[in-house]
Amino acid sequence: MNRLLSNAIWDIVCLIGIFILWQAASIAIGIEAFPTATQALVEVPKLLTSASDLADMWASLRRMLTGFVAACVIGIPIGLIMGRSQVVADVLNPVLMLIYPVPKAALTPLLMLWVGTGDFSKILVIVLGASVPLIYHSYQGGRDVAKNLIWSARAMGMSPPARLFRIVLPAAMPEILSGMRVGITMSLIVMVSSEIIGRQAGVGNILFNSLDMAIYPPVYGMIIIIGMIGFAVDLLFQQFQRSVVPWALPRKTGDDDATFMWS
Amino acid sequence: MTTKTETSLSIRGISQVFQSRGREPHTALDDVSLDFKDGEFVSVLGPSGCGKSTLLYIVGGFITPTSGAVFSNGKKVTGPGTDRGPVFQEFALFPWKTVVGNVEYGLLQQKVGKAEARERALQMIDMVHLSKFANFYPHELSGGMRQRVAIARTLAYGPSTLLMDEPFGALDAHTRHVLQNELLSIWERDQKTVMFITHSVEEAIFLSDRVIVMSRSPGTVYRDQKIDLPRPRVHSELLVNKRYQELVLEIGGVMQELHGEAVE
Repeated sequence: MNRLLSNAIWDIVCLIGIFILWQAASIAIGIEAFPTATQALVEVPKLLTSASDLADMWASLRRMLTGFVAACVIGIPIGLIMGRSQVVADVLNPVLMLIYPVPKAALTPLLMLWVGTGDFSKILVIVLGASVPLIYHSYQGGRDVAKNLIWSARAMGMSPPARLFRIVLPAAMPEILSGMRVGITMSLIVMVSSEIIGRQAGVGNILFNSLDMAIYPPVYGMIIIIGMIGFAVDLLFQQFQRSVVPWALPRKTGDDDATFMWS
Repeated sequence: MTTKTETSLSIRGISQVFQSRGREPHTALDDVSLDFKDGEFVSVLGPSGCGKSTLLYIVGGFITPTSGAVFSNGKKVTGPGTDRGPVFQEFALFPWKTVVGNVEYGLLQQKVGKAEARERALQMIDMVHLSKFANFYPHELSGGMRQRVAIARTLAYGPSTLLMDEPFGALDAHTRHVLQNELLSIWERDQKTVMFITHSVEEAIFLSDRVIVMSRSPGTVYRDQKIDLPRPRVHSELLVNKRYQELVLEIGGVMQELHGEAVE
């Protein structure tokens, strides 16, 4: 917990450093499209207090989280089953490799043609983007479960479906969580870029309206907010990770008995 | 529990041929037959690649043999069962469960009530001297402690036969001795049949009533040696025991022969 706090302090110090560099660079370059850090920072509270902008951001966040949760629900079981079945892995691996390098946000216009321009297409593209790392990490986690763990459970008389839920799932959990962490960041990236391409509502709307009118500070203000959201989401996720897999973390005790074991 | 027969484990004509794409079929085991008396401690010794672990996996029911059959307490083995409890070299503990969580796991699987499972698990943990660590996770324990937990976990659900696959192979010499002693005192108390895989001649002789030496490529029973040493056994006493020295030289010599044979 202390380490987490000192990490956060260090992160903030770094951020301040970046803002100072930004300020200096902006003054040195002196073009309108590159406002100073202070100009951008002033926009942050303005954006966060404007009702319409907040509604846009909230709509974006809601889509992002819906997409991420859907990606988890779909991606984790697919990945785990791939990990436990060579046949399924052989079929899905090429598909995954094909989908992997495609920029998911670029599919937004196509998806809009297929399923309409509503929330559904925007969520769908986030699901696509987030599920690739989720499937991949779950697959690795499922595949790497030690044979002996499965055998130990079999010797105790555990049935195959029970083993998938009670042995494979928890054993793969650290790897699944790594996938979720990449996935949630991916959701944010895909959300923003698809909204920029889709130009309909949400965060992307705020960005492009300002850009179209050549008012640059709000663009940078929005970028700062997106960065802050990403930062907060990741920090929250690390907390979540710690609470889900405490067994994957070393215990800190002053107990002598506990210390000799590390030798 | 089923009524005890004189022979608790019977291996009948086991052969195992591994077929892999683009390679010659590999005969890991060729017509292996062995009988384990009830409560007998038998070590299976052999150079690496002699199929001794494969044999244990077949007895465990984890692998189906190409031909032959295994009978546990007179019943044909068709898969893993709680009558045969495995202990692996890599401990194979559930890392997301604490020590007590691991030890009671098999009991809960057997539909034993929660309170009773917990109580029996704690007794087992006490038996392996880990009471202070009942609420620790496996990764917080040393290798020797983890293997104690693994042994307690398997003993907890009451198998009649222990299948131990080089269980002390990953431990340092001192811890190894300590655990050998503990294993023997547990075994002397509840007289389970033990099939113990090892590549250490001294370990096999120290622990066993009988040592089976296997040759490799293909794996066959090369030597079936009775260990006529008094029990309880103590390391320091055995070192000056003439019969022990003879057995080490004899079985060590057989191992040397087999290694040499395989090198050619």
